[in-house]
Amino acid sequence: MAPQGENRTDADLTGEPGSSLHGVTGHEVFPYINMDTVPEEATDLKGRKFSLPVDSEHKAKKLKIYSFARPHMLTFHLSWISFMTCFFSTFAAPPLLPIIRDNLGLTKTNIAHAGVASVSGSIISRLLMGTICDLFGPRYGCAILIMATAPAVFCMSIVSTVDGFILVRFFISFALATFVSCQFWMSSMFNGQIVGLANGLAAGWGNAGGGITQLVMPLVYDLIAKNIGADNFTAWRLAFFLPGCMHIVMGLIVLAIGQDLPDGNYSSLKRSGDKVTDTFFKVLQYGVTNYRTWIFTITYGYCLGVELTVDNIIAQYFYDRFDINLTIAGTIGSTVGLMNIISRPAGGMISDMAARRFGMRGRLWALWTLQTIGGVLCIGLGLLGSLGPSVVVLVIFSIFMEAACGATFGIIPFISRRSLGVISGAVGAGGNVGSILTQVLFFSNQSYSMEKGIMLMGVMAIACTAVLFLVYFPQWGGMLCPPSKATEEDYYGGEWNEAERAKNLHRNSLKFAENSRSERGPSRQEQTSDSAPTTRV
Amino acid sequence: MSAMKIALVLAVALLALVSVAEAGVSFKSLNSSRTLTVQAKIQATNVTSGQAHVGTDHLVISWALNSSFDGTGKDARYVNVKIKLCYAPVSQTDRGWRKTKDDLEKDKTCSKGITQQKYVSTGNTTTWRITKDVPGAVYFVRVYAVDAVGTELAFGQTTDKTKTTNLIEIVPISGRHVSIDIAAAVFSVFSVGSLMGFLSLEAIKQRKANSKAGHFFRAAFTDIIRGHSVLREIKIIKSKC
Repeated sequence: MAPQGENRTDADLTGEPGSSLHGVTGHEVFPYINMDTVPEEATDLKGRKFSLPVDSEHKAKKLKIYSFARPHMLTFHLSWISFMTCFFSTFAAPPLLPIIRDNLGLTKTNIAHAGVASVSGSIISRLLMGTICDLFGPRYGCAILIMATAPAVFCMSIVSTVDGFILVRFFISFALATFVSCQFWMSSMFNGQIVGLANGLAAGWGNAGGGITQLVMPLVYDLIAKNIGADNFTAWRLAFFLPGCMHIVMGLIVLAIGQDLPDGNYSSLKRSGDKVTDTFFKVLQYGVTNYRTWIFTITYGYCLGVELTVDNIIAQYFYDRFDINLTIAGTIGSTVGLMNIISRPAGGMISDMAARRFGMRGRLWALWTLQTIGGVLCIGLGLLGSLGPSVVVLVIFSIFMEAACGATFGIIPFISRRSLGVISGAVGAGGNVGSILTQVLFFSNQSYSMEKGIMLMGVMAIACTAVLFLVYFPQWGGMLCPPSKATEEDYYGGEWNEAERAKNLHRNSLKFAENSRSERGPSRQEQTSDSAPTTRV
Repeated sequence: MSAMKIALVLAVALLALVSVAEAGVSFKSLNSSRTLTVQAKIQATNVTSGQAHVGTDHLVISWALNSSFDGTGKDARYVNVKIKLCYAPVSQTDRGWRKTKDDLEKDKTCSKGITQQKYVSTGNTTTWRITKDVPGAVYFVRVYAVDAVGTELAFGQTTDKTKTTNLIEIVPISGRHVSIDIAAAVFSVFSVGSLMGFLSLEAIKQRKANSKAGHFFRAAFTDIIRGHSVLREIKIIKSKC
């Protein structure tokens, strides 16, 4: 276990704000303790063998996708499947809207309000989930959320008014906060060097739930309406028992076999909770006052936000504009969500590759390029009038937009070391705010047809992505400006005031700073040999 | 004429042909062909406007060639009639998927087909039980006279040109059943209940573990403190020697 004094391990850091997503980088060489590789037959604190090579914190160093071995790979699968379930149920209504709108007598305005509601609930829940994971662990956070939102999903089967429909979609959307618990869980289980890939895969496969639902729900509805012979207006209600049951099943599985950390659950490992109340406001302060937080909130709002909006409107758009049947419209709509399976991890990898060649500036340019191309394709989608080209453009557009989402989370871990949890929660919530704004501006009033709305959404995406030019890291530069003489230690150490630095509370930020030197890009790496870290512990 | 002009004329002709081939019949072109008279009654109450209930009520629709067109030969090409249920403007507002368009191929006003019958100039009647998939809205009935291929040649409808008179309001089913309500309630209670159960079980286990561990840790801690102070004393003694 941890020796006393300066050498604090991760277990001691749990509970401290900002520790929520520690380890979430693609490059971070282990900052906290030495990086000795533990031999293959490593055992956890209870003496059980690990099936994957682990570091000295027992976080896995390899990702074996086909394995379900405890605790690492099992956790990987549990977290992405539960995140996928939540996306599935949040976007289960849109593919069935042509039936639901006739049953409940919805107007275009009502549908737009419901679409806004379906992404607003998660703003609050995503902001809270980081703290909940810190205090109670990702296993409880995920399971409690998923089982508490199951009643909302079942309520969808019994709505009979417009307001009821909007309210239910609002409450179901709380479930989208499993994004935060999913990412948190990954960074607790996987070593810093592969956590970027693990996070990208888990988030991408989870987001794909939005696409899977557009395929599955019309099929389930057809099955019930035609094979079982229920009335249309009853069949769609019965179809909603599928996502509801998925919630219950996943919640129980997570509680039964899930595990917070490689060595066990939070409750069985000693933790100090006082630190949270002490520095919560400080962490909030440094997160909120860092202007980069808000820039990335805006850009993610027009990256994930566009994806969420398209999830909500696309099946209806194809059904109404091109006169195709419900199942085919749902299939086309599903491609957007399904592209996530490859495009989001690919975006993370592109960001990492750009960083290897050009450092942080490369990451910023990669993100700007991906997102701007996505915006251009969105404009194209709105302008096209025939079915075939529209589908092709839709698929390519979703690849670029989702890669941009993955690339965003290649940069987020470097914005702040101290307030990482708060920033990740804020950016994640920003995605939803962007979706709400888009749906309210372009899809809820009568003056814009759906195709015009899509085109305007593309224009706004390009405009909002341009704020990336304002991002400047003194130690690494920005998109247009070269770096200054500042160092990573100045930047990350600057988040602590004199008193805190005197107590050496900023030592982990300094370790992180040393490891983030890879973001300088290869041309400046020689400078690192001069600045040998003096605070190695 | 020069070759250029011929080419231009041909191109225009081709384009015209293509545009005609793609579009359906224009509704405006049928305006002069409102040759059919249509009447729809709700069977239970025998009135032409009012409320009708899905699943139980029937609509009795009777159509015939307008007497003023008798013998004019206008109906020479009519082969069949298609009877359709159409949305009144009040049910179309803010609902783009029910929009009226002039091109009958793209028009969504009359999306619910009732039936098709052979055309006879003396007309016919049909009784239609309102099916359960009809949404709740305000409707009128329109009858199109079509040729053998299905192209609309003429029409008639129960309401006037502004579609404000003689409208039938259809009351839909809600789709809800008591069994669905009960099932939803049961599943919800199960979800929250099993969550609470799991959490309380783990809390109880935790408390048991803590009370045992508490004693253990307190003893160990005091041992360690004593051990440290002994060690310090030994160091002091050693340094003095």
